[in-house]
Amino acid sequence: MKMQKTDIGVVAFMYAVCGFFYAYSAKLSDTSRTYPKFTIALLFFLTTFYLVQMILNARRHGVESGVDTVFAGFKPVQFLVTLAMVIVYFFLMKYIGFFVSTTVFMLACLLFLRVPILATILSIVSIDLLIYLAFVLFLGVRLPAGILF
Amino acid sequence: MLETLALMGQGFVKALTLINLLAMAGGVTLGIIIGCLPGLSAAMGVALMLPLTFTMPADTGLIVLGAIYCGAIFGGSISAILIHTPGTPASAATAIEGYQMTLQGRAGKALATACWSSFWGGLLSCISLYFFSPLLAQLALKFMSAEKFWLGIFGLTIIAGVSSKSIVKGLMSGALGLLISTIGLDPIDGTKRFMFGQAFLAEGINTTCALIGLFSMSQVFILAEKKIKERAKATKFSDKIRLTGDEKKMLAPTVVRSWIIGNIIGILPGAGASIACFMGYNNARQFSKHKEDFGHGAIEGVCGSEAANNAVTGGSLIPMLTLGIPGESVTAVLMGGLIIQGLTPGPELFTKHAAMTYTFFAGFVLVQFFMLAIGTLGCRGFAQISRLSDAILIPCVTVLCFIGSYAIHRNMSDVVVMLIFAVLGYLMRKFDLNTAAVVLALILGPISEKGLRGALRVSGGDIGVLFASPVSWVLIILSIIGIFSPFLMAKFEKKVTGTEEVVLETESGE
Repeated sequence: MKMQKTDIGVVAFMYAVCGFFYAYSAKLSDTSRTYPKFTIALLFFLTTFYLVQMILNARRHGVESGVDTVFAGFKPVQFLVTLAMVIVYFFLMKYIGFFVSTTVFMLACLLFLRVPILATILSIVSIDLLIYLAFVLFLGVRLPAGILF
Repeated sequence: MLETLALMGQGFVKALTLINLLAMAGGVTLGIIIGCLPGLSAAMGVALMLPLTFTMPADTGLIVLGAIYCGAIFGGSISAILIHTPGTPASAATAIEGYQMTLQGRAGKALATACWSSFWGGLLSCISLYFFSPLLAQLALKFMSAEKFWLGIFGLTIIAGVSSKSIVKGLMSGALGLLISTIGLDPIDGTKRFMFGQAFLAEGINTTCALIGLFSMSQVFILAEKKIKERAKATKFSDKIRLTGDEKKMLAPTVVRSWIIGNIIGILPGAGASIACFMGYNNARQFSKHKEDFGHGAIEGVCGSEAANNAVTGGSLIPMLTLGIPGESVTAVLMGGLIIQGLTPGPELFTKHAAMTYTFFAGFVLVQFFMLAIGTLGCRGFAQISRLSDAILIPCVTVLCFIGSYAIHRNMSDVVVMLIFAVLGYLMRKFDLNTAAVVLALILGPISEKGLRGALRVSGGDIGVLFASPVSWVLIILSIIGIFSPFLMAKFEKKVTGTEEVVLETESGE
C-alpha cells in the first residue's frame, strides 16, 4: 500500500495535540497529570508507530497524493456555502431567536440546494412544528428568544 | 432463580404501561424512518434522539433508544428491497435477493419476509439477553480498580480496530479520545485540567454533544460535500405483504440458524450487523434446497440476512450492559444514553437498578412486536419516505443537531462543543480515523482513570499492582487479541462477502 501524503497532516495534527496537552499539563500537580501524561505518551507512541509505517510504505510501494481519494466527488461551492449557512445560523440564533433563525436557515439552505418550493414549505413547517411540540411543549425547553420573540 | 423470574414478570408489567407502549411505537416508527433513509445510520438516529429522553424515566428513555435501534436495523431492508439501496450497511445482503424479488413483482412477499424474519431474529436474541447478562454481571462484580483499568483498555482496543482501514489509526483515535476525556475537573482531587478558562468544561466534555457532533452533524457535512442525487423511484407493488403458513414453515430453520449466527456476532465486541447479514445470507444459501434461486430472488436469502442482522441487537447489548464495553457504534451511543440517565453500565444494573433493567429488557421484547406490526402495515408509506432527498435531510438534521445539543443544559456553549466535534468528526472520517473510538474513549476514559489511579493509590505507586491478578492478565491478553481482531475480522468479512459480487450503494456513515 502506497504512503498517502494526506496522512502527513494526520501525523502532524496528532503531534500538535500531544505537544499542546503536554505543555499545558506542566501546570498541573503531579497526581493530576499522571493519567493525562499516560494518554499523551500513548498517543505519541501510536503516532510515531504510524509515521514509521508510513515511511516503510513509502520506501516499499512509493508515495501518492491521497487528495483524490479524500476529496473524491467533493463539491467545494456547495460544501462551503452550506458550512457558511450553518455558521450564520449559529450566530443568528442568539439575535433573532430560534424559530425565526431556523426558518431563515432552512429556507436559504433548501432553496440553495434546489428543493422544490412545496417541499421547502412542508419541511420548514414540519421541523418548526416538531421542535415546538417535542422540545417546547414536551421537554419544556426555553429556546433562545432573540430580539424578535 | 425465583427472584429473577419475579423481576422478569415485574419488568413486563412496567413495560406494558401506556407511556412505555407509546414510547415503543414512536421509537420503532422513528427508527424505521431513519433506517430506510440511505444517508442516515442507526447510530446517528440514536444520537439525535438522545436529548429527547433526558426528562423521561430511565426505563422509558432506554426503551425509546432500543426501539430506534431495532427499527433502524429493520428499516434498512425497505429501501434495500424497493430501491436497491440499503438504508444501513446491515441490509446490504438483503438487497441482493430482495430487489430481484421486487423486479419479479414480488416486493410485497420480500417485505413480508423481511418483517417476519426481523421480528423472529430480534425476539430470539432477547433470550441470550435475559440469560447471559446476569451471569456476566456476576463476573464483573469481582473487578477491582486494576481490572477496571484493563477493562477500559480492552474496550478501546476492540472498538479502535473496528471500521478503520488502519488499526493504528483506530488506536490513535482511541488515544485521542482518552486525552480529550481528561478535560475538566480531576475526578479524584478536583484540580482544573485543560479547561482553558471555560467554566462549562468543569464537568468535562459533554458526551451527548460529542455524540451528536461526531455522528450526526459530521454526516451533514459528508452529505453536503457530495452531489445531491435524485433517488430512484420506489417500485410500486400490488402483491400482498403476507407470508403463507407453508412459507413460514419453510423459513423457520433459516431463522433459527441466522438467530444463532447473529446472536454470537452481536455478543462478540467488534463485529456487527453488517457482517451478520452476509453470514446469515450465506448460511441460508448453504442450507437451501433451492440454491439455484439465489441471485434470482430467493426468499430464504432475504430471511437469512434479516433474521441475522436483527439477532445482533439483543446480543450486542450484553457486553455493553454488563461490562460497559460497547462492541459497535450504536451500542456506544446507547451507552451514552445510559450514562445520561445517571446509570453506570455494569453489575449495578442487575442489583441496584435491576427493576429498571428488566423493564428495559421486557420493552426490548415488546419492541419486536411493534416492529412486526408497524413494519407490515407501514411498508408502503416508509418506501415513499426512503426517497427523501439529501437536500432536505441536510438542513433538517442540522436543526435537530442544534436543538438537541442546546436542550441538554439550555446553553449555547454545548452547541459550540457539538460543532467542534462535528468538524473533528468530519475530518476524522475523511482521513480514515475512527469516530466511534473517540466516543468510547470519552465514556471509558474517566472509568479507566479512576481504575488506574485507585490501583496506584492502594499500592503506594507500585505499577506491579496492575499485573497482580489473573483477571488482569485475562483482560491484558484479551486486549492484545482485540488489537489483532481487525485482521481476523477483515479476513472473515472477505471470506463471507467475497463469494458474491455485491455492488450496492450504502451511504450511511457508520
